Amino acid sequence: MKDSDAILFLERLIRVPSVSCAEGQAAAFLVEQMDSFGFQTEIDDAGNPVGKIGTSGPRIVLLGHIDTVPGVVSVRREDGKLYGRGAVDAKGPLAAFIAAAVRAADSGNLQAQVEVIGCVEEEVPSSKGARFRVLGAAPDLCINGEPSGWQGVTLGYKGYLRARLQRSLPIEHSAGKASGMGALACRAYVAIEQAAALYNQGREALFDQVFTHLSQIELNSDGLFEHASLDVRLRLPGELGPQVARTWLCDAVPGWEVDCSNGLEAWSSPRTDPVARLLGRAISREGGRPRFIRKTGTSDMNVVGPVWKCPIVAYGPGDSALDHTPDEHIRIDEFLASIRILEGFLTDPNLSSWSAPLHSATRLKRPETR
Amino acid sequence: MLNCTECESPVSVPADAVEGEIVACDVCSAELEVACLEPLELILAPELSEDWGE
Repeated sequence: MKDSDAILFLERLIRVPSVSCAEGQAAAFLVEQMDSFGFQTEIDDAGNPVGKIGTSGPRIVLLGHIDTVPGVVSVRREDGKLYGRGAVDAKGPLAAFIAAAVRAADSGNLQAQVEVIGCVEEEVPSSKGARFRVLGAAPDLCINGEPSGWQGVTLGYKGYLRARLQRSLPIEHSAGKASGMGALACRAYVAIEQAAALYNQGREALFDQVFTHLSQIELNSDGLFEHASLDVRLRLPGELGPQVARTWLCDAVPGWEVDCSNGLEAWSSPRTDPVARLLGRAISREGGRPRFIRKTGTSDMNVVGPVWKCPIVAYGPGDSALDHTPDEHIRIDEFLASIRILEGFLTDPNLSSWSAPLHSATRLKRPETR
Repeated sequence: MLNCTECESPVSVPADAVEGEIVACDVCSAELEVACLEPLELILAPELSEDWGE
């Protein structure tokens, strides 16, 4: 696949709208394209477009996502940049996966059985596509398609917990001393912030801290009782899984009913993870300096990492500061560099020696040491 | 064969390692960066970068 064809493929993919829960048209387009590139394709029961290429070597899943957040960004090329919703998050990384796999296969040097997946509903809490795929057999290796910059390798993401806090009290006359349900609700959130500040003492890395966010507060009354409801989101470190975090939250706000609807644990790989190591080498061969990152957000890595327990990192072109913004764009030279790096990874002879079943850096047969 | 910068235990480096590659000390688990290939030099790997996103 020539550079010009890869750019055109990405542009056409961006032009097909695919807001979360409405990805059907883009999934059909992707399957049609992958089919023409030589993949075996299907749309699975969750609506994920899937393409397989390569017949030998370890099984590697390139787990991207096809959906985007809402908002129309005019698709155009300007000053070496390609603009459009999803250019960075995450059609750029997904298109780079596909182009790299095609190039590796066409060269005859593909060292793995590659499965490219464009998950649906990554941008909403359901994570429908990844939650469906995670029920299948674990691959030997996985790269999650998210923007890390062409020299970056994302090792992990924080976990999260969404909680609704509720409380009801009999109404008191406002001329009395009671400050009202609204004041109690405010104090509850402040108590959560204070508990987080206490937890974070001595933990310098953002990845190790608890972040709190108050997304909604509602007050109402039926004439007899006042009711308060707070929607709180916690970003969680690895030491604080969603179950433990719920207990932590209940302890911070005694007297409040805490209902946790959705949670994911943090997941992170070491820099010595074999995928990180081989990707780092491919970045170096391309003239870059590998930069290893942990992110405070969450991705489908949080869904599949704890279940598959295989070596996993996230990689893809683009600046994640442009995620979800009206200025979303990807630098075309960076997109092309990432394709070369991924092709270098997929054609690295070290990849084909992958065989042992345990998750350890020693799974990769090492050459002689010095 | 070099020694770990933290615990001085021997650390093996793959023969095809590249500059910037990270190796781990099997004894103390320290992450070490290949700072130079000729002569081979290991340094304690820098702190991980942190970023928001996704």
